[in-house]
Amino acid sequence: MSTIIHDPHSRRYRALGTGLAMVIYMFLLAPLLVAIPMAFGPTNSLTFPTTDYSLDLFRIFLSSPSWLGPLSESLKVALASMAIAMLAGVPAGYWIARHEFMGKGLISGVIMSPLIVPQIVIALGLLLYFSYARISGTTLSIVLGHLMLSLPFVVLMIVAGVNKLDRDLEFGAELMGAGPIRMFLTVVIPQLVPSLVAAAFLAFLMSFDELTISWFLTGPNTVTLPVKMYNELLWELSPVVAAISALLTAISLLVSIVLIALRKETSVEI
Amino acid sequence: MNSTSSLRAQAIFMSPATMIAVAIVVPPLLYVLFTSIHGSALSLAEFDAVLTSSLFRNTLSNTLFVTGLSSLLSLLLGFIVALHLSRQPARRRRFLMILVLLPFWTSVLVKCFAFMVILGRDGIVNTVLSWAFQTKVQLPLVFNTVGLMVGMTNYLVPIVVLPVLASLLAIEPAVYRAASIMGAKQARMFWTITVPMSLPGVFAGLLSVVVLSLGAFIVPALLGGPQHMMLSNLVNFYNREVLDWPKACAISIVLCGTVIIFAAPLAFWRGRKV
Repeated sequence: MSTIIHDPHSRRYRALGTGLAMVIYMFLLAPLLVAIPMAFGPTNSLTFPTTDYSLDLFRIFLSSPSWLGPLSESLKVALASMAIAMLAGVPAGYWIARHEFMGKGLISGVIMSPLIVPQIVIALGLLLYFSYARISGTTLSIVLGHLMLSLPFVVLMIVAGVNKLDRDLEFGAELMGAGPIRMFLTVVIPQLVPSLVAAAFLAFLMSFDELTISWFLTGPNTVTLPVKMYNELLWELSPVVAAISALLTAISLLVSIVLIALRKETSVEI
Repeated sequence: MNSTSSLRAQAIFMSPATMIAVAIVVPPLLYVLFTSIHGSALSLAEFDAVLTSSLFRNTLSNTLFVTGLSSLLSLLLGFIVALHLSRQPARRRRFLMILVLLPFWTSVLVKCFAFMVILGRDGIVNTVLSWAFQTKVQLPLVFNTVGLMVGMTNYLVPIVVLPVLASLLAIEPAVYRAASIMGAKQARMFWTITVPMSLPGVFAGLLSVVVLSLGAFIVPALLGGPQHMMLSNLVNFYNREVLDWPKACAISIVLCGTVIIFAAPLAFWRGRKV
């Protein structure tokens, strides 16, 4: 392309575009570039940049029950909601991608609706509903709340994954007499592994990072890590938050790496 | 596969997700609707009270202002980044994509925390300015519109980049070659090829950004301060501080209505452009 364009302005445009883009990349990365070094800073104040680096903040985080409780609650909730979202979302995504059936639009519309309805509305509705059902404040209620958010993502990723599969293998299996369940387990699932891994990681991260719904549903014994962190940010800026930020960033870094590594196979643009 | 076995298989494949949809997706939304109209009493009193209160009106206009400005800013910044990425060789693009994807997956809480440190009274920006001008500078950069816009834009730009980039990469290079052979200059090619052909991605990005921005809760709560409440924060306020569930529900319904009013035309255009 560059061999054909003889516009004398083109070089200047390009330099300007690159410069602007670099500034925006820096703006996007700025929070990370600040939060991570601070996690290794001193325990008494939030200063940046600092000269005395240590692991003290991590030590405090991992030794105080007031932080460990929320951490284990978040891990529990994220694993449970991920497992349910996968068990329900993978078969549904496959069936939605491959079959036409009555009520398909309605069912998938309802499953996808939490993507469009503002989270605060879902959170308030769940609070009212779970209060009526007398399960508000329990771990179960938070798992179910997170499930509402992760299920549509799992279904979307599986639909995208199934749409990219070579259908001939399924036709072949059918000709050889495999039933739908057997075909799903032995022909579809093995080909879907990259999508499955990506969907599971995403479902875990969405729950582990989720604040709005947990904020409405949390009880004294079910405080999740983001809720604890949000409270901390609302009332006092504790340096320990920097260590947790670094931990959360490390998890999202891991998820990004996994998704990028799997991108070729899944090509889901998220 | 005969039809009875297909029906049985469908029941097995679809029932867990359908049960979740019926048991936990639909009831909360119905609860919000029913509470807002006092259940079977079908009273619109809460809506009347909400729509005439000045607190609500200020919050609504602030929400619309923040949504408009942050959508425009993030569209502009996101478009520049997508354009830059689309013109890189594939290998370098994969690396640069990490610079967009990493912030995309970073917790909003982490971003808010970092911006509190960056923009605070004695934060990094003010420290650098104080050093540069050799005087004590304490610009108010956070807990106001500036802090809110910085936080919102930072959160929304990656959401614009991904669909716009997909649109830009889908443009055939031959189109540019043809235009160039016909004598079109850079600026002309940009306005007659790049911009129109990126519209599907632009509309998709705009749709996500507007929906997310209208419902924003965490960023305004942490970076906007009490004077810059958005509708979500008002819902939270009526639920937590006032303990007035019917009002919180009425505001929620108005919020959903606002999302539909803005999202429907965008979704329609997007559908036509794709």
